[in-house]
Amino acid sequence: MIKQSVILVAVLVLAGCAATQRTSFPPPDTGPPQPPTQPPPEQQPQPGEQPGDQPDDSTEPSEPPPSVRQPPEEMPPRSAAEASSPAVMSLLGRSETLARSGRMGMAAATLERALDLEPRNAFVYQRLASVRLAQGQASQAEAMARKSNSVAGNNPFVRADNWGLIAEARRTAGDNGGAEEATARADDYRSTSARMTQ
Amino acid sequence: MARKTPRKSKPRSRKRSASKRPGFVRRLLPYLLLLGCIAAAVLAAYMLYLDSEVRAQFEGTRWTLPAKVYATPQELYAGLDLSRDQLRGRLARQGYRASSDLSKSGTYRATGNRLDIHTRAFDFWDGKQAAREIRLRFNNSGVSSLEAIDDGDDLALLRLDPLLIGSIYPAQGEDRILIKLGEIPPMLPAGLITVEDRDFMNHWGVSLKSIARAAWANIQAGRVVQGGSTITQQLVKNFYLNNRQTLARKAKEALMAVLLDAHYSKPEILEAYLNEVYLGQDGSRAIHGFGLASYFYFQKPIQELQPNEIALLVAMVKGPNYYNPRRHPERARTRRDLVLNMFHDAGFLNDAAWREAKESDLGVSANSTRTSSQYPAFIDLVQRQLKGQYKDSDLTEEGLRIFTTLDPTVQASAEERVANGLDRVESERGIEADSLQAAAVVTSVEGGRVLAVVGGRDSGYAGFNRALDARRPIGSLIKPVVYLTALKQPSKYSAITPLDDSPLAVKLPNGDTWRPQNYSKRSHGDAVPLHYALTHSYNLATARLALDVGIPNVIDTLKKLGYPEDPLAVPSLALGAVDMAPLQVAQIYNTLAAGGYRTPLLAIRDVTTRTGEPLQRYPLQLERAIDNGPVHIVDWIMQRVARHGTGASAYNILPNSLDVAGKTGTTDELRDSWFAGFAANRLAVVWVGRDDNKPADLTGSTGALQLWARIMADIEPRSLIDAPPENVIEVPLRLRSGSSSARGCGDTTPVPFMRGHVPDGLSSCDSDIMQENVRRRQQEEQDEGNWLQRLFR
Repeated sequence: MIKQSVILVAVLVLAGCAATQRTSFPPPDTGPPQPPTQPPPEQQPQPGEQPGDQPDDSTEPSEPPPSVRQPPEEMPPRSAAEASSPAVMSLLGRSETLARSGRMGMAAATLERALDLEPRNAFVYQRLASVRLAQGQASQAEAMARKSNSVAGNNPFVRADNWGLIAEARRTAGDNGGAEEATARADDYRSTSARMTQ
Repeated sequence: MARKTPRKSKPRSRKRSASKRPGFVRRLLPYLLLLGCIAAAVLAAYMLYLDSEVRAQFEGTRWTLPAKVYATPQELYAGLDLSRDQLRGRLARQGYRASSDLSKSGTYRATGNRLDIHTRAFDFWDGKQAAREIRLRFNNSGVSSLEAIDDGDDLALLRLDPLLIGSIYPAQGEDRILIKLGEIPPMLPAGLITVEDRDFMNHWGVSLKSIARAAWANIQAGRVVQGGSTITQQLVKNFYLNNRQTLARKAKEALMAVLLDAHYSKPEILEAYLNEVYLGQDGSRAIHGFGLASYFYFQKPIQELQPNEIALLVAMVKGPNYYNPRRHPERARTRRDLVLNMFHDAGFLNDAAWREAKESDLGVSANSTRTSSQYPAFIDLVQRQLKGQYKDSDLTEEGLRIFTTLDPTVQASAEERVANGLDRVESERGIEADSLQAAAVVTSVEGGRVLAVVGGRDSGYAGFNRALDARRPIGSLIKPVVYLTALKQPSKYSAITPLDDSPLAVKLPNGDTWRPQNYSKRSHGDAVPLHYALTHSYNLATARLALDVGIPNVIDTLKKLGYPEDPLAVPSLALGAVDMAPLQVAQIYNTLAAGGYRTPLLAIRDVTTRTGEPLQRYPLQLERAIDNGPVHIVDWIMQRVARHGTGASAYNILPNSLDVAGKTGTTDELRDSWFAGFAANRLAVVWVGRDDNKPADLTGSTGALQLWARIMADIEPRSLIDAPPENVIEVPLRLRSGSSSARGCGDTTPVPFMRGHVPDGLSSCDSDIMQENVRRRQQEEQDEGNWLQRLFR
């Protein structure tokens, strides 16, 4: 019971953060915002990378790419507002209102409607992950967060938050080791994103 | 009662003779009185019994309501890639009508690049949406803006009311939609009374006047040409009695009509009649009531019916099958015009409106001209997904509302392309006409929504649903699963691992020997790059690869991708010796298309009660079934199948700018022709073959692919996005493309490898054949040596 309310608070804080981000848009130094209907920029093949120079690794990379060498004008979207159409934004707003009033099933359904419009919007999957977490569905929350990662391209802002959610989900499921690992990855992405915004 | 009196007084002569014996009459009188009393008591008791029957039925649940099934609603928003004409087509299909003043819901107005719509109110699973007046502007890529005309606000998005695609009705087949008298156009009940029962408002349930009129007409004609039944009697007949035409039944009907009239108000009786009356047949489904008839014939709610449409429905009451406007349009039209004349005479229509209505055609919606329901294959899938969760009676009686994932536009394209495609394939290849069958499933990729199901060539026929039930060997459709199983071991396999395509023979436990062959009956040597062997669907290389990775591991991958059964672990599984229905193939390929995230394919999103209370959601469920790195590499190879391999003829139809991925499948003796493939937002699986399982003389690419590409071209596919996941890197290589073996670093392709598993000694601009690279480097070393030697000579 306590655990669930902690998660609920966490989700609300997260949702609050997202809302703040949205209202504080546009970001100060990134020039004109991208047209809202465009999908987030996708990861480009990194220039100068030599094949075969990566350390041997399991199929799941244990560390994020060390640095993201993208010029500032290619700054990936930091908030849903930068990457979503007005239609999707209105659905995100609606789902947030629903989540705040505790109607999690309806909030999730509204997010799924947003996914119908933009099936590869990493921010929508991320919100869905946090709603699932609030519903106590840890494994679905993790799956949604990972799906968000898989469509987020090289976006450290989204990835950092996703790994934060995965850490929460794993803690909820009693996997403390896994949670710590996820937290470490979230921190890595946070420092990458901090470097980018400098 | 009135008739009995003269009969009693008739035998006057006997009375006179009886008066000679007054004692006899006086003695008989008490008995007669008693008899009369008994008769009266019996009659009274019978009336009481009838009365309770009438009331019980009328006041209880009068009708059971079949569940209503809705398609996915069209979302409208700026940025939607739908042209103005496409949207108009969609509106027309849903019974919206063009109107310059836009004053009623269910109307639209098109001017220039604009489309104004007065939408219908609708109770969605997540709440009511009011009717709105909106304006859409269009440019070349679709909807450029959306605003509300009614309050001038910017509108982010809005749903159209969803298309009603069917009902789940019980075995006896009665289907209806309930309406209230207050919500229908007044011309309908008034017109009905005028045509069917002029004295309805005044009589007591039966009308002597109309009985007399009917009797007179029948006597004149010498046969029964007219019935004297009132609306109340007709209701009683449908409601309480069976169809036998006996005198006793007639009497009972009249008694019950009187009772009904005594107990209930005229509007109550009329409303019941409007909901009860039989108005047509749709296969085994009986269309009852004007509410459903309005959808069945005009695809729109009853509120929106126009005078000519009202007249047609009223006209059909007399004989819904005889005046069926789809089957007997001339008969129907003659009677409709007669009814319109009566409307005009009664003053419901002024001269102008009367003439306009008479000039209009029947207006019956074209897309449900079939004899059975519109989307039988899809509704079949919906019913199977509901099974086990609801009792049959819940579905057929409670008026549940089922919101599905069907996209009517995609479904229409798929149906048309299947039917036309088979005609075309048959005529082009000299195959006997109408000998082939086909099935198709279309999904949304992300979210796993089933957008369309085509169960056979005649998609309106609710027979054998091949998309769900025709289990056929999948042939080479299994190959991506074999290669994915290999690529899951990145230390052993990459996209350029050389595979052995030489002949092999495998001794089976039963003593037989399995000797697979390539389609060309030739071997391609012992060092075919892995991607190339899949692109060209080499059987020998694939069989050897499957045996190397282990058939049980292939099965494991197959199950992770979403195949729910346990296929036999035999070597021939490597080449597709497993029977699947198209829907099962769609599940497997959907997981491949969605980056290894498995979502159970769903046809239903929500179920609500009759009044809109949410009952059940079918939420998006994701499972990370397989690491997205190897899946990405397999998808990359399947893109090459479509560009350069067995699927290349897709690009005779698809635009060159569109990246799609897919795989052909062909089975022994060309019995089954398959294609499964996807763009970023659409996946389609098509099977072509014969019901009798004789050879269809088609490969995957000459049969199913031809249908697949045409379906795909129609359903707004978006190009696949090449961005590799985190754990995949790309190395530009010169790929073997058959003839060119140009040296140097000109024509390269980025080839995906698992991070950390790029083969030793490979660098940019190398070939995908490792030996060539080794040779080249030796040559370069030699050249360099010569150069050094020359320098120091």
